[in-house]
Amino acid sequence: MDSLHAIGFYVSAAISVGGGLAVAFLPGRGSRGVALGAVGVGIAGLYLSLNAGFTALVALVCYAGCALLMATSQYRVMETVVADEPGARRAHNFYRQVGAVAAGGLFVLLAYAAWRGRFAHPTFFYLGAVNSDSVGRLLFAHDALAAEAVGVLVLVALVGATAVWRVRDRGR
Amino acid sequence: MSAGLVAVLFVAVALVAVGAFIAVWKRDLTAALAGLPLMFGGAGVAFAGVSRFAAPGGPPALGQGVSALLAVAALALVALGVGIAGRGTSR
Repeated sequence: MDSLHAIGFYVSAAISVGGGLAVAFLPGRGSRGVALGAVGVGIAGLYLSLNAGFTALVALVCYAGCALLMATSQYRVMETVVADEPGARRAHNFYRQVGAVAAGGLFVLLAYAAWRGRFAHPTFFYLGAVNSDSVGRLLFAHDALAAEAVGVLVLVALVGATAVWRVRDRGR
Repeated sequence: MSAGLVAVLFVAVALVAVGAFIAVWKRDLTAALAGLPLMFGGAGVAFAGVSRFAAPGGPPALGQGVSALLAVAALALVALGVGIAGRGTSR
């Protein structure tokens, strides 16, 4: 990875992690939706710096959808409360049917892509054939320190999450 | 300045940790759902990173495909969760 890609990688990492912390601590759904959009921009930048341009585009669209859902979920709940009136109920049912048809269309599109797509079948990389043996050698011999560091970080994160959960339950 | 597989995995784990923190910390269901895209994004970054650095001469499309699938799955799960939360409050 050259310097330009590395700078992009670290900047995107800072944006995504900082956006995640903003999602955790900012009040209000609107600001949280904006922060989740920033997370999406950061993750798309990470993919772009890893030479995954199409994945960056898909992630950008999907995280924009997540941010929109987060930001507008409050209004959706209000809409369901107001939907007791007959006219509002009809409009609400119309939007639900449009959503259902759109979801069905997306499923058909994904099925078509899975049927027509030519998926890659990698059989060889620089540590040998792609199988459990070579992947195990990659993780536990070639990059053993990184794998152990990541394992320790995951353990600390899970223990911290469990501790926070128990403390919060005790406070109720 | 350079970034390797170790840096990618550290960033991925940081994203997963922040996502788990959000999912546990927030009391509101729709707010806690915001942790899901972060955790899925962390997993996707790890897949894309391993694909980028483990196969310099081969096709790196497998990890990238999994990353795109995880992004779509995150969107679907958030939509499902928001729908369930809205349905729960209206009854």
